Amino acid sequence: MAQAPAAEMETKWWSGGKSPFNVEYGKLMMWYFLMSDAFTFGAFLISYGTIRFSQNFWPDPNKVFNAFPLAGHANLPLAFVSLMTFILIVSSVTMVLAVHAGHHNDKKSVIKWMIWTIIGGIAFLACQAWEWTHLITGDHAVMVNGVVEHIGTTVTRNPWGPEVAGAMHDGHHLTTTGPVAFGGYFFGITGFHGFHVLSGVVINIIMLIMTINGVFEKRGHYLMIEKAGLYWHFVDLVWVFVFLCFYLI
Amino acid sequence: MDHHQSSSEVTVHHAPGGKEVVQKIIRTTVILSVITLIELALGLGMYLMPNASSALILFIKGVIVILSLLKAFYIVGVFMHLGEEIKNLIMTIIVPLLLFVWFIAAFLLDGSSWRNLRNTNGKSKTEQVVSGSKAEKITPAEGH
Amino acid sequence: MSIEHTTTVQESASLASTHDHHDGHHEHHHEESFISKYVFSQDHKMIAKQFLITGMIWAVIGGLFSVLFRLQLGYPEMSFPILEDLFGKWAAGGRISNEFYYALVTMHGTILVFFVLTAGLSGTFANFLIPLQIGARDMASPMLNMLSYWFFFLASIIMFASMFIQTGPASGGWTIYPPLSALGQASEGSKLGMDYWLVSMAMFIVSSLLGGLNYISTILNMRTKGMTMTRLPLTIWALFFTAVLGVLSFPVLLSGAILLLFDRNLGTSFYLSEIVVKGEILPNEGGSAILFQHLFWFLGHPEVYIILLPALGMVSEILSVNSRKPIFGYLAMVGSLFAIAILAFLVWAHHMFVTGLNPFLGAFFVLLTLLIAVPSAIKVFNWLTTLWRGNLRFTPGMLFAIGFVSLFISGGLTGIFLGNSTLDIHLHDTYFVVAHFHIVMGVASMFGMFAGVYHWYPKMYGRYMNNTLAYIHFWVSLIGAYLIFWPMHYQGLAGMPRRYTDFSNWESFKQFGEMNRFISTVAMIVFVVQLLFIFNFFYSIWKGRKVTTQNPWGANTLEWTTPVRPGHGNWPGEIPEVHRWAYDYGKDGRDFIPQTEKISDSESKH
Repeated sequence: MAQAPAAEMETKWWSGGKSPFNVEYGKLMMWYFLMSDAFTFGAFLISYGTIRFSQNFWPDPNKVFNAFPLAGHANLPLAFVSLMTFILIVSSVTMVLAVHAGHHNDKKSVIKWMIWTIIGGIAFLACQAWEWTHLITGDHAVMVNGVVEHIGTTVTRNPWGPEVAGAMHDGHHLTTTGPVAFGGYFFGITGFHGFHVLSGVVINIIMLIMTINGVFEKRGHYLMIEKAGLYWHFVDLVWVFVFLCFYLI
Repeated sequence: MDHHQSSSEVTVHHAPGGKEVVQKIIRTTVILSVITLIELALGLGMYLMPNASSALILFIKGVIVILSLLKAFYIVGVFMHLGEEIKNLIMTIIVPLLLFVWFIAAFLLDGSSWRNLRNTNGKSKTEQVVSGSKAEKITPAEGH
Repeated sequence: MSIEHTTTVQESASLASTHDHHDGHHEHHHEESFISKYVFSQDHKMIAKQFLITGMIWAVIGGLFSVLFRLQLGYPEMSFPILEDLFGKWAAGGRISNEFYYALVTMHGTILVFFVLTAGLSGTFANFLIPLQIGARDMASPMLNMLSYWFFFLASIIMFASMFIQTGPASGGWTIYPPLSALGQASEGSKLGMDYWLVSMAMFIVSSLLGGLNYISTILNMRTKGMTMTRLPLTIWALFFTAVLGVLSFPVLLSGAILLLFDRNLGTSFYLSEIVVKGEILPNEGGSAILFQHLFWFLGHPEVYIILLPALGMVSEILSVNSRKPIFGYLAMVGSLFAIAILAFLVWAHHMFVTGLNPFLGAFFVLLTLLIAVPSAIKVFNWLTTLWRGNLRFTPGMLFAIGFVSLFISGGLTGIFLGNSTLDIHLHDTYFVVAHFHIVMGVASMFGMFAGVYHWYPKMYGRYMNNTLAYIHFWVSLIGAYLIFWPMHYQGLAGMPRRYTDFSNWESFKQFGEMNRFISTVAMIVFVVQLLFIFNFFYSIWKGRKVTTQNPWGANTLEWTTPVRPGHGNWPGEIPEVHRWAYDYGKDGRDFIPQTEKISDSESKH
């Protein structure tokens, strides 16, 4: 039934009276909002890169992020952040399945996949809370002005400096303090990302409640789920770059 | 109930597929996971080769950046369904992102220029290069 | 019901949520409460008026501040006891204190740039003109549109409140460069006032984002049938690019502001390194103050065009209507707007040539900056050729539009000087810079705004503004603007720096005492004349001459096909269809042909 008029319109997308992109305004606004938000995160990450480029020394992420819950002092570089990344990817997959179920007006599946997505989001936030706590409270012996001090990673202190030649402490090479911008940017940017995850979880919970109450069923479409999905995937997308900038390179 | 909300602007709805869509999602998930694993392997590789040349390290980092962009491509294209939109919509989203090229280039160039200035101006050059933080510790006292 | 493929060929471009509104429009119109009609209104025309009037209140405050600091600059040796009565310790002994002077300058810049010329200008005219000129019932999302105003209102309240706290408002200049702005102990204005400034700006960014997203999706999605992009009036194109600039650049300021808030309150060192304040060595290290400047100007430069582009668009439209001629080079006008919008993002560091920017990098910024001259010159050429041999009607709107062209040329030319990093070594931070940006961005955009207000006032309120008062307003403002800012070029070339409270004890700048007094006197006269405009504006709302015809200017665009005072939903019946571009003036012996008229077979091609 759609073939004939659709073909006719193909040539006149821009003639007015319809969306030139064949999307309703809400989705368009969501896309452009995400683009705007990409510039917010972009500015943060570029600032981080700029400051990092202005330093002679930058901590090795493999040394900073080598802990795993309940694993004691085992040296497991990047293991925990891999888990976090995996959780976020999986929650993105469950979200896309929820959107897919929405396309088929399958209320039960939408509810199921939304619940999994929310669980994934909360799990990610819990991981981040653990990681933050570990970094802030985990003391490291550091040479400060010729004296050995025990400090954690905060926005004002950074124990991950270059090694001090010849100085040993408990069988480890002793380091000096590192660039404080490391902690500032790490907590600032992962915090801002975490804030986005949190708001995404809140949005998803609202969407879940609306789905359960049959709001979208009455409306006849699940476009709201689609827009919430766009936001959620964007959060995942940002993580790809946060992961890249802080943990990998 | 009709598509009341969207009917006024949107003329033709996407026809959602069934099984093949789910298959595509699963395939993309696998691709994303594999790319992430490769990235992690490369990251750990750099950790395990402390004596690698800086050119090699730079090369590995470049590969990781490209892999991340590939991940971004899959997330935006498949999960966010941008690949299925009309080409013009895709362009309005991709083209403005090109601004990032000059945004990144100019900022990072200036950043490395500050390092240059810090290392060469006013302070003992050798001290700075050996240990950035150590030399900076001394600076306030000098300034005072 | 099948979701598979639902084909609906709709009759109007209206949006579902406003469907209910306009369908039941006639019944509901009278039942609207005062609150929903005037306060929390979702009608784009009312929101536009809210932006305009809030902007006007801010303009008076910002203008008054400039009068106060011009008083200090013009009469540095005199004391005005009334100032002490009004401002207490800030003007002890009837003289403006240094802190107060800096607070006044900072607030003047912040208010005029953001609250008047961004919110007041594009907020007003984007809201008012976009739905009317593209043929839509309202914005895509009237709800977010309303929120956009109320976030602006909230930002206004916070900024206004900051003027009444004990340590005063932010006073580090409207660019709030750290380290001064980051360290509370460095100056009074860097204490609580600075936090208020940052929070207020965050609210402002939310407002401009909500507005901008709405403008973009409305222009793309809600155009009426037949309104292709190339049939859009140039106002809409300009407002479109303005919104794009805002959506892509304001978030960068948000990031910069958040990092600054962290530096201020959490002890981070993003912008701070190796600082001694009042003998105290600060622990911060590793940051860079130039980083903030990069982030700030990544917004700050597009911001200049966010201010200017709406004026460019409105002036194009008003010049064409009142010359009774098609705009010269429509596509070149659109293309040059596009070029300006792109270049706006590539040139930010030309504000930073002498701040420690890598000079090699500066060379690229010089090149890109000078490229802006090309689209700007195209626009000027096209305006002049539009005027050339036209049947000019010197309405107040037209006069202000011509005044805009004059100011744009004079102010733009000095931009070529400043765009050169070598000349900038001499000219930076002098009155030459002050003169340049006041003429090209400040006064020119104000003129664009006045042109818009005078031209669309009949559509806004169904009455005319008083012409005699308008002519006085125009001539005093234009001559005044040149008398104020022209001499500043000489002062700047002589090296007179900005942001100094008193030049009388400088051997090199003493000679400018008379000139400063002259500038200050003219500034006060011009300020009073602006009050005349505001009187005219409010007086005419109730007492102005009534508009009797639907299309008083004989214009082609769609807003003049609505009733004299359009209700919510704009057109009582169907939305008109569009058949031609907006500039068929003086064609085939006809004075004008509205966009709604079908193209007849005998018509010549344009």
